[in-house]
Amino acid sequence: MSTSTTDLTPDHDDHEAVPLLERMPGRGSAAAWPLALVGAALLIAGSFLSWSFPDDVLGDLSVNFYPNGLQLCVVALGIAAVIFLLAYRGPLSRLGDWLDAASALRWIGLGAVIYMAATIIAIGWQTGAILNVNPGGWITLIGALLLLAGSLMLVSRNTRDPLFAKTSSWFEIITIIVLLALVLFGAAYALGLEDAVSFALFLLFAGMLSMALTKAGVFTWLGVVSQKNRQVLMFGAFAVAFLFPFTQGGSDENMSIATQVLIFAATALGLNIVVGLAGLLDLGYIAFLGAGAYVGAILSNSAFATIGWKPPFIVVVLIGALVSAILGLIIGSPTLRVSGDYLAIVTLAFGEIFRFTMGNLDGNNGPDLTNGPNGIPAIPDLKFGSFDFGQPHEVFGITLGRFANYYFLLLVIAAFIIFVFIRLNNSRIGRGWVAIREDEKAAEAMGVNVFGLKLFAFAGGAFLAGMAGTVKAHHDVSVTPDQYIFLESAFLLAAVVLGGMGTVAGVLVGATILKLLPEKLRFIADYRLMIFGLVLVLMMRFRPEGLIASQRRKLEFHHDDEDLAQRIEEVHLEEAEAKA
Amino acid sequence: MTEFLQQIVNGLTLGSLYALIAVGYTVVYGIVQLINFAHGEVFMIGAFGALATWTVLFKGQTGLWVLPIMVLGAVLVSVLTAVVMERIAYRPLRGAPRLAPLITAIGISVFLQEAVRLFYPGAKSKLTFPEIEVVTGSALSIGGLQIQRAAIFTVGALVVSAVLLWFFVNRTRLGQGMQAVSQDPDTAQLMGINVNRIIVIAFAVGAALAAIAGVAQGLLNSNIDFRMGFLAGLKAFTAAVLGGIGNIQGAVVGGLTLGIAESMATQFIPGQFGGSAWKDVWAFVLLILVLVFRPQGLLGARVVDRA
Repeated sequence: MSTSTTDLTPDHDDHEAVPLLERMPGRGSAAAWPLALVGAALLIAGSFLSWSFPDDVLGDLSVNFYPNGLQLCVVALGIAAVIFLLAYRGPLSRLGDWLDAASALRWIGLGAVIYMAATIIAIGWQTGAILNVNPGGWITLIGALLLLAGSLMLVSRNTRDPLFAKTSSWFEIITIIVLLALVLFGAAYALGLEDAVSFALFLLFAGMLSMALTKAGVFTWLGVVSQKNRQVLMFGAFAVAFLFPFTQGGSDENMSIATQVLIFAATALGLNIVVGLAGLLDLGYIAFLGAGAYVGAILSNSAFATIGWKPPFIVVVLIGALVSAILGLIIGSPTLRVSGDYLAIVTLAFGEIFRFTMGNLDGNNGPDLTNGPNGIPAIPDLKFGSFDFGQPHEVFGITLGRFANYYFLLLVIAAFIIFVFIRLNNSRIGRGWVAIREDEKAAEAMGVNVFGLKLFAFAGGAFLAGMAGTVKAHHDVSVTPDQYIFLESAFLLAAVVLGGMGTVAGVLVGATILKLLPEKLRFIADYRLMIFGLVLVLMMRFRPEGLIASQRRKLEFHHDDEDLAQRIEEVHLEEAEAKA
Repeated sequence: MTEFLQQIVNGLTLGSLYALIAVGYTVVYGIVQLINFAHGEVFMIGAFGALATWTVLFKGQTGLWVLPIMVLGAVLVSVLTAVVMERIAYRPLRGAPRLAPLITAIGISVFLQEAVRLFYPGAKSKLTFPEIEVVTGSALSIGGLQIQRAAIFTVGALVVSAVLLWFFVNRTRLGQGMQAVSQDPDTAQLMGINVNRIIVIAFAVGAALAAIAGVAQGLLNSNIDFRMGFLAGLKAFTAAVLGGIGNIQGAVVGGLTLGIAESMATQFIPGQFGGSAWKDVWAFVLLILVLVFRPQGLLGARVVDRA
């Protein structure tokens, strides 16, 4: 009853997994490399020419020698292709010893072809005639096709595992900084794209480029590097997140999306402690966020708040977090003794109980606490002293609007949650969780306080969610029971699973994908849930460890993969040696 | 007293519905130790299958003779959904960590709901379920008790299904194969039982009963919508756990118990926390209590503690 999932993981070399490639005519021929180089050159050259006749399609693609953002993406692909070609043979050949340039080139080629085909179709579609595509577009497409053909004919060189590459630390740090700057720039650019098709094309570009880099092994190396320079990465990422509002020029539109992403990400990070670290599947996690939000609303200055007490916000945050944590204890202490699937269902039932209860406490069916299905509207903005979160502020001549204010607050909360997450993960408690996750009975036999640690994870996760909830109440202005349906819990879980359980970066990526894409890709709005369901199924089928997986987690899902086990062991040994 | 009996009747009706769905959870769990979280959606699709059959073949007809064909249509659609689901999504995950199939199940559940909402004409709001002579219409009044006609259909469907299921499991080769696989899949395979086939059949049997429940639900409420599977599925799972998951008689007992408990809670819990607004809450509280104090369920079944 063994599965065949391991055959489909992208870790295998292409020429092993895809026998079709072996049968490619002209494979390994001397013409392959020059052909690909010509393709890359055409790709770059074509992008500097005009792609479309009208100037109102996908931004403005009609000017020669003045490439628009979408054309610059192709230029970037072309440059990446040239670098990999030179790494395959030529001056950068030493790089090619470590990176699988041929595989990367295939993906770049494929990406460029799809990208150009989609662009040409989009131009033809939006202007009503394929004639409106200028020669530049066709030249670029031909370049892409040549690049793909050439790269398909290339034979992968034998490469060493980039896991063991030694690079100087200043180079590593500069790489991290450049990468983060690119992320900031890319995010600001992508969010600035109004047009859904342009946005989708940009995503295609980013996706294909990262796929190529993954195939080349760049990300394996980056993983090691970011482990080594964790402080730099953390600080840099925080700086990027901090600088983001300043790129938006006071526009609230993108900042509102960004704050939603942050609330979602902060909550998902809390859930990641419960699911990713302790391995407890919680399907009612949204209830803890809801509990915090309701506390925040009830103790706010809203005219609809049902309790007269209005403590300062910092007290409210603590109360909200504590109420959530107590709910976590109440639900956790009896149910954490049951394990696995049952816990999932109990927490799901708890989430539903929470939602029904909040809907019922309206004065008719119970004491009046929550105004029932109408919820508590008109929650005023936060005020810290004279700083009003509802008002825009000027910093260095750049206006920061209401959402930017909340963004900074949420950033602090997210940073706190990440801090807690990392400290816990590297502590005795975190090791206890890993032990429980992998084998509960063995952990108990080794003297790990299984029940206590589980309860701590559960209540701690609830505490963090409650904290985020109190801010969410003010950010959203109103709190109603139907914001806390099961689907939201499923979304949170999906963010954790999609990104990679037990990693911070993975969850951040997952949360961003899940919240950002539906906002930007309006044309799939109606289908977004269906796609979401499909993605979950496919993800579990083909990459259950998530997009950015910790190595150990990967092994849990592919435990018959001897190679992987070996590699991880070697790395661990080497790390231990380095420490000694 | 009349009130009490009336609630028993309501509870039995509701309970039969839960029991029909719960069998699907229990049969699958008994064999592959998988909580098929998307089973509620199979139930929902059954109801839509029946409606589609009626709309395409017999629009405007109300005779009792269309009912069996509607049920057949419902069963076909549900079984097909469940079998495809097993083949595409669950089978590749056998042997994967427990989290994987559960998340897959959530994905399937969302996917099926949305597929129905988007692609079934008019399914974005509630759809009216056809009135069928004899099984819908004015309620029967027996000794002061109001008994809906559809309720009789529901209870009857449960009785017939239970008898057939009992016969299938205990008296046919396939059923005995099922029992063997549920006791020890590896040994069963060595004895020449095609385990994959048995698993598909388990999914199919559960789906068939869920489809019947879907029709019953449509007749009872006279409307169906794409969301109906979620809560019903959760309740049915509660019923399965209540009876002891993996135990088919348990599912029936658990369903009926849950149904009656729910109606009793509606009627007899005094004060503000009674009434129909809280009945779902009490049902889930019951689930949590059972899992905490008697995780093996009322009738007892396999050991719960398998992570």
